[in-house]
Amino acid sequence: MNKTFDRYASIVFLLLGIGFMWQSAGISSSAYGSTVGPNIFPFGLGLALVLLSIRLFYEVLKTKSAERQKEQLDYKRFLLIFGAAVLYAFFLEAIGYVIGTFAFLLFAFQTIERGKWLRSVLIAALFSILVYVVFVVLLEGSMPGFPVWLS
Amino acid sequence: MNVLDYLASGFATALQWHNLLFALIGVLIGTSVGVLPGIGPMSGVALLIPVTATMTGGLPPEAAATSSIILLAGVYYGAMYGGSTTSILLNTPGESSSVVTTLDGYQMAKQGRAGAALSISAIGSFAAGLFALIALIALAQPLSDVAIKFGPADYFSLMLLGLCAVSGLAGKSITKALIMTVTGLLLATIGMDTVSGVARFTFGIPLLYSGLEFLTIAVGLFALGEVFKTILEKDYGAGATSKIGRILPTRKDLKDSAGPIARGSVLGFFIGILPGAGATLASFFSYIVEKKLSKNPSSFGKGNIAGVAAPESANNAASGGAMIPLLTLGIPGSGTTAILMGALIMYNIQPGPLLFEEHPDVAWGLIASMLIGNLLLLVLNMPLVKVFAKVIQTPAKYLIPIIIAISIFGVYAVQAQIFDLMLLLGCGVAGFLLARNDYPLAPLVLGLVLGPMIENNMRRALTTSNGDFMIFLQKPMSLVFLIIAALWIAVPILLKRRGKEVVVNEEG
Repeated sequence: MNKTFDRYASIVFLLLGIGFMWQSAGISSSAYGSTVGPNIFPFGLGLALVLLSIRLFYEVLKTKSAERQKEQLDYKRFLLIFGAAVLYAFFLEAIGYVIGTFAFLLFAFQTIERGKWLRSVLIAALFSILVYVVFVVLLEGSMPGFPVWLS
Repeated sequence: MNVLDYLASGFATALQWHNLLFALIGVLIGTSVGVLPGIGPMSGVALLIPVTATMTGGLPPEAAATSSIILLAGVYYGAMYGGSTTSILLNTPGESSSVVTTLDGYQMAKQGRAGAALSISAIGSFAAGLFALIALIALAQPLSDVAIKFGPADYFSLMLLGLCAVSGLAGKSITKALIMTVTGLLLATIGMDTVSGVARFTFGIPLLYSGLEFLTIAVGLFALGEVFKTILEKDYGAGATSKIGRILPTRKDLKDSAGPIARGSVLGFFIGILPGAGATLASFFSYIVEKKLSKNPSSFGKGNIAGVAAPESANNAASGGAMIPLLTLGIPGSGTTAILMGALIMYNIQPGPLLFEEHPDVAWGLIASMLIGNLLLLVLNMPLVKVFAKVIQTPAKYLIPIIIAISIFGVYAVQAQIFDLMLLLGCGVAGFLLARNDYPLAPLVLGLVLGPMIENNMRRALTTSNGDFMIFLQKPMSLVFLIIAALWIAVPILLKRRGKEVVVNEEG
């Protein structure tokens, strides 16, 4: 059990619970033909979340800090790939599926392990074109295949 | 029409060529998913929902729902089976329900009997699937006849029981599991309220009016969460696989495993029906039972074939049993069935007692296809064992980015919103962090799926009682469910306090 994470998590969940309770106070408390409005369910859940997060906070206080063997997490690769995924997702509509996917896959392949460029390029190209052909051309799904200025 | 007529028409549905194809694809993908390190049944099913949605796009709604649920169910039990392959060949279980299989399976592989272990687990899975199916056919109609008499108050309490059962058995800390359940329920309230039409927690953002999409959250939490974990922990390598050798089991193997398969099937099925208990518990229990019954308990853990046959049959029977509460009551008992339910709801098909009346094609088509799927598994897996053993060797370098790409493609194909893609990536990070710190994810998804139904039933019940909460205690059925729910949470806590080891269920 990672104490620091649990402590922060309990605070986040506490705030989340309070937030939901606070916001549900603004929702009308009755509906047509019923004394039970759309506010009661989220309000009750928010309350439950607050109580549970307080309990979690106490549980964390009580447990002795079990020394967790520090594993070295590979943040560099993760951040590179995650960043690339965010950019890819964000610009998907602007640059189109085929180019975006190809660039993302190639970058991610090379981030995990350098080298074998030919294989990386082939697999990335094959995947992006295959998905595009099957989904957009054959199944007629809606997906921006190429950027507007190219098609 | 009686049950047999329905079943016959179910077979007519399941035997249509495209549904056969879907079952075949499902089973193949499922087995690969189960074999591949890093994707379990839950993320496999979640990842494939958008893919099936596009594949079935041209069909009329009901047929599309049938076909895609056939494919997804195929993935589910295919993955359950595939997980055992890695347990036996690599000593690394593909998912938690095949942890027990490693004990004897890997020992058998070391003795050069890997082929026999693999084929016995295929035969056991098939027998168990068959048993679960017959029991499902026998129980489905009577159960939904009972369930149809439930009022809103009974339903509310029953669903509460389902949530408590899953939270009570999930992960190490019940508090954390309950937090995840409540968070899931709260996330489900975002968007337009279906009863009154009031917008809740949308802050005027139009994108939020339709609520957070279940699919986006499930794919993010499970599939991306696991992928991020693999990247962060640099967990790329698959070890060397054992030689498979002779595939067909000997006559003695068959004789030794007939009893364990039968017992594992029955036990697994009934454990599978219970919400919250699932394939993992089923496999543990059946292993323990076999060890207790055996004349020679010390041979367990040293390559006893009964130690492979029993848990493998049990976990397959459990995944069949888990279909019962899903189809007849509309209550998923595990993470994977919650995802299947989410898929059905996406097609506007509400699982529950009315399913068999309103959509007999879907219900019976699925049941019949489970039989066909199990048969396909047996026929395919015996000769293809060596191919699947090769699949284990897929380099993670290519696999991981492709899983991310499929997630993004799938979510965009269904939602067509950049907002959903950002939510997907955010959920991926959240999924990694939460799972790493022992916050179970299955209860969250369960809460998300059941949230709207629980709320509607609660409000309907409260409307009839004029806002008096005592209605949940006055209706006898509802009271019984609530008592069981309370016990389900309380008993594990008490057992833990008395220092007993509690078997937890980490499967989905």
